[in-house]
Amino acid sequence: MDSISYYLQTALNGILAGCVYALFAMGLTLIYGVLNFVNFAHGELIMWGAYFLFLFMGEPFGLPLYAALPPALAVTGCLGVAMDFSVFRPLRRANRLTLLIAAMGLSVFLRNAAQFFWGAEVRTYGLEVTAGLRFFGLSLTMPQIAIIAVTILCVTAVYLLFFRSRLGKSMRALSDNLDLARISGIDTRRAILAAWVISAVLAGIGGILLALDTNLSPEMGVINLIKAFAATLIGGVGNLWGALLGGLLIGLAENLGVLFVSPGYKDAIAFVIMVIILLARPYVIIGERSD
Amino acid sequence: MDLLLHLAIVIAIYAVFALSLNVEIGYTGLFNFGHVAFFAIGAYTSALLTLAGFPFSISLLAGLMLAGLCGFLLSIPALKLQGDYFGIATLGFGEILRMVVNNEVWLTKGPMGLPGIPRPELFGLHFDTLPAYLALSGGMALATFAVLAFIVLSPFGRALKAVRDDETAAEILGKNAFRFKIKSFVIGSVFAGLAGVLWAHYATFIGPGDFTLTETILVLLIVVMGGKGTFLGPVVGAVVLIFFQESVRFLRLPPEWTRLLGPLQQMVFGLLLVVFMVFRPEGIVREKGGRRGA
Amino acid sequence: MLEIRNVTKTFGGTRAVSDCSISLEGLGITGLIGPNGSGKTTLFNLITGLLRPDRGEIRFLGNRIDGRLPHDMAQLGLIRTFQLSRVFPRMTVLENMLLAPQGQTGERLLSLCLRLPAIRNEESENRERALELLDLLGLTRLHDQFAENLSYGQQKLLELGRAIMARPKMILLDEPTAGINPTLIRTMIEMILKMRERGQVFFIIEHNMDVVIEVCERVFVLDHGEKIAEGRPEEIQKDPRVIEAYLGC
Repeated sequence: MDSISYYLQTALNGILAGCVYALFAMGLTLIYGVLNFVNFAHGELIMWGAYFLFLFMGEPFGLPLYAALPPALAVTGCLGVAMDFSVFRPLRRANRLTLLIAAMGLSVFLRNAAQFFWGAEVRTYGLEVTAGLRFFGLSLTMPQIAIIAVTILCVTAVYLLFFRSRLGKSMRALSDNLDLARISGIDTRRAILAAWVISAVLAGIGGILLALDTNLSPEMGVINLIKAFAATLIGGVGNLWGALLGGLLIGLAENLGVLFVSPGYKDAIAFVIMVIILLARPYVIIGERSD
Repeated sequence: MDLLLHLAIVIAIYAVFALSLNVEIGYTGLFNFGHVAFFAIGAYTSALLTLAGFPFSISLLAGLMLAGLCGFLLSIPALKLQGDYFGIATLGFGEILRMVVNNEVWLTKGPMGLPGIPRPELFGLHFDTLPAYLALSGGMALATFAVLAFIVLSPFGRALKAVRDDETAAEILGKNAFRFKIKSFVIGSVFAGLAGVLWAHYATFIGPGDFTLTETILVLLIVVMGGKGTFLGPVVGAVVLIFFQESVRFLRLPPEWTRLLGPLQQMVFGLLLVVFMVFRPEGIVREKGGRRGA
Repeated sequence: MLEIRNVTKTFGGTRAVSDCSISLEGLGITGLIGPNGSGKTTLFNLITGLLRPDRGEIRFLGNRIDGRLPHDMAQLGLIRTFQLSRVFPRMTVLENMLLAPQGQTGERLLSLCLRLPAIRNEESENRERALELLDLLGLTRLHDQFAENLSYGQQKLLELGRAIMARPKMILLDEPTAGINPTLIRTMIEMILKMRERGQVFFIIEHNMDVVIEVCERVFVLDHGEKIAEGRPEEIQKDPRVIEAYLGC
């Protein structure tokens, strides 16, 4: 085996994984920035997004992939809003720890709800394997091509929304200072609503891409939450571009890392990175907002 | 009758586990979400030693000491973090430990776990019947309660509470907050290790699947729902939640239902956490001079 | 006893404390006054280790203390109170007092196991002394109340009592009489004077000039972070620079 193309393939896999993590991280950091807490249930938005697609593609809807996407993402967006409405809004003034614990409870609830309905087994969308691309000794499957394309699409959409629209401006104001934004007459309710929809949809898209490339299971949210959080930390709280970069870095670190460590520790790499960053925090973070 | 004994034993073990976490969360304000790691360290250390032929007294002591030592080592870097970051970092540590246990098959037999852990023999008494084990674990639970109550009511405990409530003001009065937190963390870790030892020798089989996020949530719920920062809170929480969790196991249900029971229970636990955080973050048993909020 | 040499502290663009040098002998009561925002509390924060000076040094009893952790200061014999009282709300008045003595054997974990009788003795001695002090402050009947149930003025008295309880070599009081009614102000002043008779050294930030004149032997004046005057209260009152600082904000 050509060793250079092996490393390149690994790096490519890293970027692919990183794209997905970037989508997760962008959604997580958005809520972190606007509402100042870590949505520990973000992993379940990822997971339920994938399962909603599974739902719409199966009985009794039986829709093909592209037709099932819009309703799946719409419902995921609703789930995000519902989470805020039922749990996080009543706790808007609570301290970060209370919010974290409540989010943990919500995460357990949602995770087991999925297991309740679909069982703990790993599932797939059951799509036929279509030919992918081969170039320079590297290969890309269709889902992987989709990952790259969709990520670019999402990042562009997010950029346009955040930096070229009034809604985005409101969200950035909230990110800066929630109370000040309230007093300034910005429609905070709408902005918060939009933040949740975007966060949930990004999570859902990421979850679907991940499930298309690999598989679905009720546990898929938890491990990805930690990776998303690590990416968020690298990029700085509320920093969307930082989250993008962070996601890519984590993806690369993971995939290149297993060249040196046992594959059983692959998931631990993101954890370890997260712990190291947390400990080195004052010196590492780009554009960190003071708490 | 067996069910009741089983319940009582598990309640006793989880009472020890929860009381140990309460020292950290309730009396020092340290939200350690990786506490299950020390439970696991106590369990595995003692199990491996007992299986290797060492007397229970040695396994027990080794389990306690290793758990305490690991607690000490983890606390030094981790305590540099504030509030929820500390929680997430400790959570990360708990998960990393679980992965180590899962992967280092040469030591822990990995996912297959350690079967055949013998019931303990101490001072010539063989604790191999359920009532005997209840005496052992119940006795340990009472001892834990007594020791921790003694610590909390002492000047040390008083200083600890001061550090929890207003670290700056405590520092101004000469309390080295960092040292107090480390000591609290070590105490919590040692007793978590004790719970782990008791668990391993009761269940007679342990595997990495016994020390996951699920257990973390359970013990957190016990402390938070029962009432952190009180003496009775963790005990009440243990009684209520373990009763709920374990008793359903003994119900005779049609097979389609048993598959659903696990997730359903967990859904209830998750919901309880949320409900308590929203409506009663102090828990069932409130602290004196109660101020609201976690 | 306390030496502040050329200390500067800047926040963002503002100089909160600017090249300040103050020297206190270990005697009596010294005051620190100045208009709002002149850097008095910042100076206290620098002395007690809550802030680190950008430049300069601070020495207590010859030891350098700038940049050290707050608990070191207390262990060296320097205790402070806060402008907005920081009693421990969820602990009783008596417990608040019992937290103050330094080097308690009972606070060391190992000692709990090994030296129980000594700890019991210390505790009962401390209790006695605490109740004595509470009596002088008129807080005896509240001794087992949670501190959060006390009125603001009572909390400030408690904070003073707690500081005295620690037997420090010097007590820094940050606006002890701010926001409390005249009767309690009287109690506070009498307590401070009584403690001075017993040899306690105080360094007090105060806005209330009557209190300063009655209590302080010597006064330092800060304005915009700089020391602009020092001397006896009567002298300071007549100092034109001081008058200008207070009037010409």
